[in-house]
Amino acid sequence: MRNIQTPGCGMTRRSLLANAGMAALGAGLLPRVGKAVEAPSTPVALARCRSYDAELLPTLTKMFDQMGGLGRLVKDKTVAAKVNLTGNPDSRLGFIPIGCTTWTHPAVIAATVHLLGRAGARRIRILESPWQSAEPVQEFMTAAGWNSGMFTSAAANVEFENTNFLGYGKRYIRFPVPHGGLLFPAFDLNHSYADCDVFVSIGKMKEHQTAGITLSMKNCFGITPCTIYGDGAPEDEPGLVPLGGRFPIHAGSRQPSKCSPPEIDLKSPRQGGYRVPRCVADLVAARPVHLAIIDGIESQTGGEGIGLDTRHVTPHVLVAGTNTVCVDAVGTAVMGFDPMADRGTAPFEFCDSTLRLAEELGVGTRDLKRIEVIGERIADVVFDYRKAGFPIQRTVPAHDWLATPPRKG
Amino acid sequence: MVPFRWPSAWSEPALLRLFAGSPINCLLFESLSGAKAVVDAARAAGFTALEWSELGAGPLAQVKWDSPAPQTVITGLVWPRIKMSAHGLGDVDAGPTGAPWIDSNSWVARLAAVRAPHRPVWLGFELGNDHTIAGSASYIIAVADSAASGAQWMVTLDDNLREGLPAGNANALKTWHSILDALAFFEKHRQWAAWDRWGSIGILSSFAGKDEFMGQEMLNLAARRNLLYRVLDRSFPASCKLEGLPAVLYADSDPPSAELKAQLAAFARPGGLLIVPRALAALFQGEKTVPCSVAGYELRSFGRGSVAAATRDWDDPYFLAADVHNLVGRRNDPLTLFNAASLWRHYSVNPDSRAALLQLVAFASRPNESVSVAPARPFRSAAMYTIGRGAPVPLEPVKVEGRMELHLPAFSFYTALEVRS
Repeated sequence: MRNIQTPGCGMTRRSLLANAGMAALGAGLLPRVGKAVEAPSTPVALARCRSYDAELLPTLTKMFDQMGGLGRLVKDKTVAAKVNLTGNPDSRLGFIPIGCTTWTHPAVIAATVHLLGRAGARRIRILESPWQSAEPVQEFMTAAGWNSGMFTSAAANVEFENTNFLGYGKRYIRFPVPHGGLLFPAFDLNHSYADCDVFVSIGKMKEHQTAGITLSMKNCFGITPCTIYGDGAPEDEPGLVPLGGRFPIHAGSRQPSKCSPPEIDLKSPRQGGYRVPRCVADLVAARPVHLAIIDGIESQTGGEGIGLDTRHVTPHVLVAGTNTVCVDAVGTAVMGFDPMADRGTAPFEFCDSTLRLAEELGVGTRDLKRIEVIGERIADVVFDYRKAGFPIQRTVPAHDWLATPPRKG
Repeated sequence: MVPFRWPSAWSEPALLRLFAGSPINCLLFESLSGAKAVVDAARAAGFTALEWSELGAGPLAQVKWDSPAPQTVITGLVWPRIKMSAHGLGDVDAGPTGAPWIDSNSWVARLAAVRAPHRPVWLGFELGNDHTIAGSASYIIAVADSAASGAQWMVTLDDNLREGLPAGNANALKTWHSILDALAFFEKHRQWAAWDRWGSIGILSSFAGKDEFMGQEMLNLAARRNLLYRVLDRSFPASCKLEGLPAVLYADSDPPSAELKAQLAAFARPGGLLIVPRALAALFQGEKTVPCSVAGYELRSFGRGSVAAATRDWDDPYFLAADVHNLVGRRNDPLTLFNAASLWRHYSVNPDSRAALLQLVAFASRPNESVSVAPARPFRSAAMYTIGRGAPVPLEPVKVEGRMELHLPAFSFYTALEVRS
């Protein structure tokens, strides 16, 4: 394994420290854990967008301009864009296309790719770890009825990679979590998360059964390869292909393959509501997001997957910025929740707040008083997910009850 | 013929009344002499009566393909169903993809049809002891799984029906009429069985000897992935028709004959994709290495086509099926389905290629709602057929994200979609 922050391990790649006005990413320059007040803040662009049609591209263009333009971020750079294609590609809520409910809409991906290319990106890699699968991302898209040509024709040098396994890489790359991490001290990830200058997270505005909400940060939960972190990962070395999902991270039912760092505290709670937010916070600290985009034009309430409690909704918003915590804080507020809320309060009734944890890791602030919102005012575009959704009884996610006791030793 | 296995305990000729107006016209007896009264009455009523021992029935591996028998009779098969979990009632076993684990005899029927192309295929299976619910649904699915595969199930009753029907039990009669309705539906549409099975991959194997497990499981698991395939049996050269296939998997580890090798090379050169095991990589070396997005394969150009050679030995047919699906790609699929995880698809085209038939066998007990179908090619009309409904329902296309889709009304167990261009 190469260690992305350890010199002398064959790491001659570009700096991860550039771009986006992020606070310095070197471990020594990060705020100390718990110093939330010092967490950085960058402006967040918020726009109303009523459809995925012609108005989408100009809206995104304007948002990126409001943020200072994409050119300063991506010109002559390799960009990796993690999109949110969670679950089965052929599942729909009724007859509604999956991009209008659970997945990042293809038009948002294509428009972003186009604008990245127009801003001078040298290469754009679209990344996802399709559920329990090593199939090419393009194939996964085809199964959803998408034409991956709409992305390759949106800009020059567009590539795809399934990051749920080794993919095109020769080895996994180690990403230490600054300050040691909350759940894991480091992650071993597909090479694409290292072989880029700029990392973009394009999430979907959704509620989440385990983590309360899923926006640009939770989108990064899917960068963990199931060949190491998933059900069926071999005991010692990474598997050739993923054999299962990320239940072990949710439940702590087992540790990653021994080649990769185990979690920090094997006696910590084996509850998804404790573990998933910490894992996500660790991930966005270890693999910083330089550009975060939330597709909230159309979505669904009631959770990430399609079920009886889900309802198609149309918040008609887009959120974007260079700090993933700030972007998600604004997104949380747009959904009708208080980004300062914590366990016990909606949307975190049964989980810890990923926003708080990432803030405490110094990734960014969730305090709206410290975030400059450009474009629309939050109050003007709030779309209350709980009011719009079915009145469901919220209970501890079933899989938390299934969690097995921690391993000894 | 539509066969029915006459229960040994049924000795009353009067029970033939159950078959009045039904499509069942062939009764299979354990012993003709032992059921003489019934046999005589049946023959007098126009039924064909056959003795089981004369059918040459046996498990797939024991079938004599060159037998002069008028039909191929295969027994020892599985009851088609979603496999229930050992964890408890209501749980469903899932495969490595998370998709429900489905038992089906489709692949057996397809293989048999290739090996003995001019003989009807009769399949034999009955409810096991672990099958706690044997209502109409189980029987309709049993009929449909066989018929959609071009075969005929030899209707075999469970204990409840064997005892309940002679006694006039209302529930038993209800289930019985469901079985007859399903049989009648497929008899009415018998012409569909003659339509050509379409596939994006030809699966080439001897399906026997040391290649039996990998070859047969590949057929089974390809269907489980809804990867449409054509069976190509090395032992039956007439079946090795490669025309029109985008890709061919050579699944066996021993080399093909010189003639077959030349045929495969001639298939790949103009643009086909040939997938071969590691042991045969040297036989089809190809030219330039091409980037391959599927782990465990080296892809090389081969004329205008390509050869994907495994870089490791195949030991698990499930992963081989997944690899093959990824190598072939979905771009060749004639249609895309949504909300169809527990549906098995059977796709065929009529001889003039102006109509295509998509048959969906639904293994879940709940109704299938919000299933949509997006044909890859333009079409002029579409009609949906369901068991028990007389006339087909015309479907109006719906434009979704720039392409035409068909949104199917809710259905249970089975539907057929005839699309005309």
